[in-house]
Order: sequence, then structure tokens, then C-alpha cells
Amino acid sequence: MSQKQRDLLELGRLEYLQALVTEFQVTESPEAKEQVLANLANFAYDPKNYEYLRQLQVLDLFLDMLTEDNEILVEFAIGGLCNLCLDKTNKDYILEADGVAPVINCLSSSNEETVMSAVTTLMYLTTPQSRQQTTAFAVVECMLRFSLSANRRLSNLARVFLEDYCSPVQVEEARNLSKHTAVGIPLPKD
Amino acid sequence: MVDTCFWIRMIEFFPHSLMRRSLLTMEFLQIPVAVLRYSKLKIKTVYTVNLESRYLLIQGVPALGVMKELVEQFALYGAIEEYNALDEYPAEQFTEVYLIKFQKLQSARIAKRKLDERSFFGSLLHVCYAPEFETVQETREKLQDRRKYIAKATSNRVHFVVKKIQEPKKTVSKNSEHDFQPETLGFSAAGANTGNWDPSACCPYPYQPSCEFSSRNTACPSGGHFQRVLAFPQYVSNCAETSESFCQSKPLTQSAQQGGYTNTPVSLVLQRKVSSDNGIGRFMPRTTQLQERKRKRDQGNQIDFIGIDSDSTGVIIGPRLPEIPKVDMDDDSLNTSASLIRNKLTEVAVSVPKSSGEKPEDTQTKPPIKQRRRI
Repeated sequence: MSQKQRDLLELGRLEYLQALVTEFQVTESPEAKEQVLANLANFAYDPKNYEYLRQLQVLDLFLDMLTEDNEILVEFAIGGLCNLCLDKTNKDYILEADGVAPVINCLSSSNEETVMSAVTTLMYLTTPQSRQQTTAFAVVECMLRFSLSANRRLSNLARVFLEDYCSPVQVEEARNLSKHTAVGIPLPKD
Repeated sequence: MVDTCFWIRMIEFFPHSLMRRSLLTMEFLQIPVAVLRYSKLKIKTVYTVNLESRYLLIQGVPALGVMKELVEQFALYGAIEEYNALDEYPAEQFTEVYLIKFQKLQSARIAKRKLDERSFFGSLLHVCYAPEFETVQETREKLQDRRKYIAKATSNRVHFVVKKIQEPKKTVSKNSEHDFQPETLGFSAAGANTGNWDPSACCPYPYQPSCEFSSRNTACPSGGHFQRVLAFPQYVSNCAETSESFCQSKPLTQSAQQGGYTNTPVSLVLQRKVSSDNGIGRFMPRTTQLQERKRKRDQGNQIDFIGIDSDSTGVIIGPRLPEIPKVDMDDDSLNTSASLIRNKLTEVAVSVPKSSGEKPEDTQTKPPIKQRRRI
């Protein structure tokens, strides 16, 4: 038993991450799942781990978790994606796996951190090829609303998105349409 | 030797945030996976680029007038661009909240790691990132920096094709980098180029490769280069300023004088202007009038003082003592009451000719007012 633990302590990075992934798959407890996912997502911040995370298919794991009902799992997964999607290989992988759509879905989350991670992820996933998808009309419209948010962090991100990743024409179109349909304007209560 | 129990004890022994911090910053505290299940340690957030910032919020600073010491402590970890007391920010009793903006994210990172949960004048500091104080431009730069960092860290093998396309721009950005940021070696020129590869290639809209630098220019009206050069003196003069406002200490003023820039009044006044513009306007949603007023007054003092100094080529003695020659209190009602008191005093002085020598003292009747207001 203690020998086992000792071995565990001496494991290297890859083995440690492997142990995390295994724990994630094996565990029944939702709380442990969350914690392990949070760990993995934090490891994804450091480019040193990218190679290992790819080997262990953690990218797929993150992408799968985006469609979970558990909001915490979604928040941690999109955080992890946000951390690793700048790397060229990871970016290509996510784009090929049709990762943009579930990321866009995260924009409608009620969790602020999830939304902000999603906005940043979309920026980082934008390439000449994926641009069509990442700056789709609905996304631009969404960003317009976020840019008016009282949350300064969110409005800053949205404004960077609109100014740097969308064309003025796109923004104008979205603005005009949202004017007509009054999207995002809360209806008065009674 | 080391088993699960040990780890659980470790985790429960240490304050939560401390442990969490080492996990978040990946300082590689290799806790066995199983322990995560049994321990009370909970990771609440995933650390992403959105959470970090050059702005640090420092809570739990004892209200002892130790701003100077605090800023000095933080300046150990990198050049500070601006700092402020956040008087309106909710704070625990007898403590103050400060906002410090570093020039570089990396400095903020280290400062946070070193000083969070650190004892400071008998109170525990709580340091956290404050991205909510960023401007749009600063957020943009932060995201760009992360892009550059990843590009550099992951590999240099990519993007040759695009590099070729960007050749002319590249030289520009390289130049500007060397002009403005000689010490930003964290991002080599190659890293910067590959980093800029993506957005400029994908967006046909004005997305400058040298975004970081050009934007810095637009961000501060005085121009990037100017600001860059002034960066440190600015801090020193800030520091001098605050120390004056707190205790009128002269050594610091002297150090500011020796601090590497010329002794002429003009330059000092100029810098003063820069720093005062940068400082309060941006950070304080509702400016504390008192501080502002005091600063203006000190500024007046300072200018006078320098004038004397440059005339008399003599030894620097120190700033004038708190005689406060300025009359304007920035507030109509205060001005009115001040002039009332002054009139009263002159009346008294006229009726009792003996005390006419004390005339200059009528300026000293203001300190009581000021003192009262400060409490």
C-alpha cells in the first residue's frame, strides 16, 4: 500500500496525468470527477503538458464534457480548452473534431466564467478556415449583447472580439437585426 | 514513508488558498490522485488567461498610512506603472484596499505568488488579480501576449509560409520592439512574429502585427516611447509624492532628485503631470477629493521648493514644511469659511498690532480644518 503510494509519488508528469485521466474515468463520485477535471484543465495552462495531454486524449475529454448537464464540469472543460487551444496542433485537432459548435453553445451558459472562457476560446480558434464558423451571425449578435454587459471583464472581451475578429459589416448587420428583433432586451415586468 | 494520510494531513494543515494556489500555479505539488477524493481541498476555478491581469488588488492592508512601504514591497518584483488606494472598495475594519498595476504580467504573477497571504504590519495581505480594472486595450494586449507566449513555447517549426508574407511588417514590428521594449526578451522577435501569424492572416481588417506597441502609444497620450523612458522615474516621483503627503519626509525627495533624471524644475513638473493624469483619473471611480487636494497642494510646495533650490545652488534641505501657501481648497464652501477665518484673523491682527508678525500664520489656521476633514 505505502509502496504503491511511494511509486505514485515518483511518477513523472505523464504518469501523473495518466493517473488523473484514469481516476476521472473510474470514479463514480461526481465531485471527484469535477476535481480531477479541474486539475487537468489547470495542467492545460502550461504548454509543457500539451504533448502529454494529446497523448492521453484529454482534448476529447474536454470536448465531451462541454455537452454535460453539470455546469461545473462544463466550466472546467471550457477552461481547459481555452488554455490549450492556442497551440497549433491542438487548434487543428479541435477544429477537425467540430469543436466550435459546442464552444458556441457555451456562450448561452449562465455561468460567467464559462462564457468568458468560451469567448476567448473562439478568438483563439479563429483561423482563415474557421472564421466563417467562429464569427457566425449568432455569435456576433451574442458579442454585441455581451459588449453592453455590466461585467467589465466580459464586455472587454466581447469588444476585443468585435473589433479584432469581426468585420465592421458583420457587426453592423448584427446590430441592425438585433434592433428590429429587440433581442436581449428584457421585457418589463407587468 | 509518505502515504495518503500524510497528504491528507498536509492538506488539512495548510490554509486552503495556499494549497490551491500551488495547484493552480502548477508548482507541482504532486498530490496523489486518490487524495483529492478524501481531502477537503477543492479547486474552485480553472486558471485561464481571463483570470490573470497586470492589475493586483491588495486587501487587508492595515490602515496605518503604509502605502509607501506597501508599494516598495511590491516594486521588488517588477516595475509598477500605477497604484492607488481604493477608498470606496469594501474593506474590513481598519484595513485598506490598494490597486497596483505592474508593467508586465509576469511581475504581477510573481508578486502575487510571493506576497499573497504574507504578513504585513501585523495583518495578512490578500492579493488577487483584478482584470476588471483593465481597459479594452489592456485586455487585448493580454490576450496577444498569451498568444505570443504559446507560439514561442510550443515550437518554432510553424508558420514559415506566413512569415514570408509578413516580411515587411516583421521588420517594422521588430524595430519597434527594440525601440520600445529592449528588456521584453520573454518574447523574442521570432516568437512575436509567429504569434501574430494567426489573426493578421485571418482578419482582413486592421490588425497590426505590432499591436502591442502601437496600442501602447495610443493608450497613453504622451506617446509610448516617452512613457517608456519615464516609467521608472515616474514611479519614483509618485513615491516621493506620496511620502510627502504622508510624512513630508525629505530623504525620499532627495532620492527622487538623485534618481537619475535632471534636476531642472521643468522636467519634474512634466513628470508630475504625467503621473497625476495617469493615476487618479482612471482608477478611482469616485475620486477622493481630499487626496487630490492634498496632492495639488504638495505639488505647489514642490514647485516652490525646486525654484528656490535651483536659484541658490545650495544644498538640498528638503521640502518646505507644511506651511501650505495655497489658498484654494477646491470647494466653494471651504473657500468661504477659509476666507472668513482669514478676515477674522486680520481683524484681530490689526486691533492688536503686536501680533502682526504672526500674519503668515493665518495660513496655518488651515491645517485644523484639513485635519478635521480627514477624520
